[in-house]
Amino acid sequence: MGTVTDDEVIRKRLLIDGDGAGDDRRINLLVKSFIKWCNSGSQEEGYSQYQHMLSTLSQCEFSMGKTLLVYDMNLREMENYEKNYKKIECSIAGAHEKIAECKKQILQAKRIRKNRQEYDALAKVIQRHPDRHETLKELEALGKELEHLSHIKESVEDKLELRRKQFHVLLSTIHELQQTLENDEKLSEVEEAQETSMETDPKP
Amino acid sequence: MERAMPQAVPLGQMEVLQALQRLHMIIFSQNVSPCGKFLAAGNNYGQIAIFSLSASLSSEAKEESKKPMVTFQAHDGPVYSMVSTDRHLLSAGDGEVKAWLWAEILKKGCKELWRRQPPYRTSLEVPEINALLLVPKENSLILAGGDCQLHTMDLETGTFTRALWGHTDYIHCLALRERSPEVLSGGEDGAVRLWDLRTAKEVQTIEVYKHEECSRPHNGRWIGCLATDSDWMVCGGGPALTLWHLRSSTPTTIFPMRAPQKHVTFYQDLILSAGQGRCVNQWQLSGELKAQVPGSSPGLLSLSLNQQPAAPECKVLTAAGNSCRVDVFTNLGYRAFSLSF
Repeated sequence: MGTVTDDEVIRKRLLIDGDGAGDDRRINLLVKSFIKWCNSGSQEEGYSQYQHMLSTLSQCEFSMGKTLLVYDMNLREMENYEKNYKKIECSIAGAHEKIAECKKQILQAKRIRKNRQEYDALAKVIQRHPDRHETLKELEALGKELEHLSHIKESVEDKLELRRKQFHVLLSTIHELQQTLENDEKLSEVEEAQETSMETDPKP
Repeated sequence: MERAMPQAVPLGQMEVLQALQRLHMIIFSQNVSPCGKFLAAGNNYGQIAIFSLSASLSSEAKEESKKPMVTFQAHDGPVYSMVSTDRHLLSAGDGEVKAWLWAEILKKGCKELWRRQPPYRTSLEVPEINALLLVPKENSLILAGGDCQLHTMDLETGTFTRALWGHTDYIHCLALRERSPEVLSGGEDGAVRLWDLRTAKEVQTIEVYKHEECSRPHNGRWIGCLATDSDWMVCGGGPALTLWHLRSSTPTTIFPMRAPQKHVTFYQDLILSAGQGRCVNQWQLSGELKAQVPGSSPGLLSLSLNQQPAAPECKVLTAAGNSCRVDVFTNLGYRAFSLSF
């Protein structure tokens, strides 16, 4: 059944459109009418056929002109599209590069941020310790006090030494005096003893 | 650190067993591959799962892309810590550290390249290794954990070169201070110790719990997480999360977070931290909380930032903890999706 209807369809189409569509058909009809005109008899018919052929010819030329213009237009459209395409490709490549640049910048910025945060962390720790100037001043003041106190200590020690020596001299003189007094006493005792022995002796 | 008890379940109930396993799973550690496209996660059963980040982040991601590409049994005990060199994945658990090749890891039946055990004082004790740290300048690996010492292992020869003593209780975490090659270690004894690698001596000790501003005696004195930025250090755990200036050993900023934090890291101009509590916290150095982004696990144990230059499209933050899920944050502002064991 399918093939039969196909044949029918082909037949019908050939009948209706036997010479091709549109321009092709016009050219075929022109050729046929030219042949008819060559074979025609009377003057008026020939003239009308001639006019008809000229009009068909001009119609053909017109449609050819139109097609050429359309072809030109298509070519130019193609060029235009090519240009746009290239432009877009360039801008895509440019955007890729910019993205890579920005990524590098992000990395750099992250590194900077990291360094800043490390600095901040250390700074916080350092802030907790007191200022160096103040500690140095305190150290100086303490040093001066220390010197002052050591001076006082030295002078006190000197005084003590002096007093000690003087006492020593005093005590040694007292000792000597004591010694001499004892010696004197002993001498006087010996003398007394001698005297009493002399008194007792001459008695008999 | 906790151990998982195997469930006694009758045969023929494999799904129940698996569901119970997933319910009780804890993901202790995560690490990104050197190409940046894969994420390895280690859990408390000793398994390591490799997820494909590029597949799950792509526009045609389906549910299967959020499952691991491969899961294998790496250790007998939990996998507490993992690091990556440019060709190997090193994982550490109860007493040993094993190495796996990233290039081979996606194939079935992957075997470890080597396994080593640091010299312990007695052969009876098998202390867990809680933290691994790579020192690229001398191509060595530092292990620290339950035996309170830091062991250094040279990656080329595999020999253990130094053992640093000083901590009185087990060590939780390690961090590398790059400019002067020093290692920081934080432990259960509440002290953060700085070790100079060239002289193998302890250079500085910061006893965090002795400072009144940050100590919280009701939480304990343990230091659960450490991160350092050469001049600055952040540590947290029992005491409050604090930013320290290392040269002067002074605590400069205290972050007002009540829950103990288990992982902390510096990122651009922020400090990211996670711990007990669902959220990943973003702090500015001045102590302000910039954002708190909730995840899907009730507690978080590790954060991992994929900053591998080979895969800039997989630049994500992943967080994992007390569940079988790894949350993926593509933009620090919200949780995009979760990968799951």
